Amino acid sequence: MQYRPTTAELLQSIGDLLNGEVLRSAPLALQHQVRVAGNLVGILERESTLGPAAEGRERKRLAALVGHDGEVTDLSAELAGRLRTGDDPEFEHQAWQVLVDIARDDLAIAKPGHDSWEGE
Amino acid sequence: MSSTEPDLAEGRTGELVSGLEAFLSAEWGRPVRVSNPTSSSAGARRNNVLFDADDGRERLGLVATIMPNSQIQLNPMGAEAAMRDLARKAGVPVPRLYATCLDSSYVGGPFFVSERVEGETVPRRVLRLVHERGIGELVAGQLGGALGRLHAIDPGLAPADLIDPGPGNPAEVALQWAGDAFGQLLEPRPALALGLRWLERELPGELPERSVIHGDVRNGNLIVGADGLRALLDWEGSKRHGDPMEDLAWASLRMWRFRYDDQEIGGFAGRAPFVSGYQSSGGAFDEERFHWWKVLGTLRWALGLAGQTAAHLDGRFVSIVMAASGRRVPELEWDLLMLIRPRCPAEPG
Repeated sequence: MQYRPTTAELLQSIGDLLNGEVLRSAPLALQHQVRVAGNLVGILERESTLGPAAEGRERKRLAALVGHDGEVTDLSAELAGRLRTGDDPEFEHQAWQVLVDIARDDLAIAKPGHDSWEGE
Repeated sequence: MSSTEPDLAEGRTGELVSGLEAFLSAEWGRPVRVSNPTSSSAGARRNNVLFDADDGRERLGLVATIMPNSQIQLNPMGAEAAMRDLARKAGVPVPRLYATCLDSSYVGGPFFVSERVEGETVPRRVLRLVHERGIGELVAGQLGGALGRLHAIDPGLAPADLIDPGPGNPAEVALQWAGDAFGQLLEPRPALALGLRWLERELPGELPERSVIHGDVRNGNLIVGADGLRALLDWEGSKRHGDPMEDLAWASLRMWRFRYDDQEIGGFAGRAPFVSGYQSSGGAFDEERFHWWKVLGTLRWALGLAGQTAAHLDGRFVSIVMAASGRRVPELEWDLLMLIRPRCPAEPG
C-alpha cells in the first residue's frame, strides 16, 4: 500500500500544474494540447473516486437486464450484441432506461453536467 | 473539433509572405506586396492565414486557406472552388474566391486565396455576439435561407469531380458506413448498438430528388457579424447527390450549441425560424428525415471520436487530443439516447 498522497490527490496536483503554470507558459501551438491534458487529468481524478462504485452499479444493472452475472465488459459486450441484431421492442425499452442510467454514471466522470439537458 | 493549428512561427512567417507574394504577383501579372499575416483559429483541419495584399492600386483583405500536404483532401481543390462559385451565384453567402493554387512549392501546400469577410468564427464568440445583439432568430433564419438556395441548385451543374455518394439512397450509404465503423469499435458499446438498430429500423425511403449538399454546416463553419450571417465556410466535404435533410440535421446537433442547449440551431435559436427561412427560399422540410439524420449524425460523431482514439492507440496519429476523443463518447451516447427515447412507456413487468 502506498503512502499519501492518494491517486486523486496526486491527479489534482498534476491537473493544477497543467491548468496553471504549464498552460500559462506553453507556446500557443501547445496550449490546446495542454488544456486537453488538464481536462483528462480531471477525468482521471473523478474516475479514481467515482469509478469503482459506478462500475459496481453498471455490473448490477447489466446483470439484471441480461439475466445473469458476469464481468462488466462481458455483460456489456453481450448486451451490445443482443441490441445490434435484436428485434424486441420491450427489451429495447428496458435497455434504453438501463443505458441512460449507465450513461449518467459515465458522464459524472467524463463530463459532469452533460446529462442535465434531456431534450433533443 | 477545436483548433490544433500552431500559430505562425517566426521563421515560417517570412517564407509564407514571400510565397504568397510570388504566387499573387504571377497570378495577377503585377508586383503584389503582402503584409500583416496572422493565423486564424477558424478551421481545424486547415490553416487559415489572414493577410493584406497591395498591388499598387488597391489594398485587399484576404485569407489563404492552406492544406497541409499530409492531409487527405476530401474534394479536389478545383472541385471545391467550383462548388463555392456555384453556391455563391445561387445566393449562398460564400467568400469570393480570388485564386486557387495547386502548387505546393509556394507555401508548403495547395491553397485558396479568398476575400476576407470580417466577423466572428469561433463558436463561443459567435454565440456571445449573437446573444448580446439579440440576433439568434435572424441568424437561424438566414442559415435556413442559405441552405434552401443551396439545395435548389441543379446537381447537374455541380463540378464533375465533386464527391458523389453514387446512385441510391444517401441514408443507406451513411448507415452502411456507420455499421462498418461500429464493427471496428475497440469495445462494443450497447448505447451505440441501440442507436444503430434504431437507424436501421427507421431508415427513410428513396428521396424523390437528391440535392447538392454542403456536408458540414454548423456553428464553427460560419462567419457572423452584428448584422447576422455573413458566410458559410469549409466546402471541402460538399457532395453532389445528398439528402438535403442531412445538412439541416447536422446544423441542429447538440455538439454545436456550446451550452445553449435549448437553442437547437447552433445555439442561435429554436427550429421554427430556421425551417421558415429554409422553406421561404424553396426548401422542403421533412421532419422525419430530419430526425433520422440527427440520430445518424450523432452516432457518426461518436464513431468518429472512437476512430480518433483507435488511430492514437495504434500509432497512426499519436496525439493527446486524439486520445481524449474516446472519453467524449459518453456525451454522444447520452445525446443519442435522448434522440431515440422510446415513445410509449413499456408494459410493466
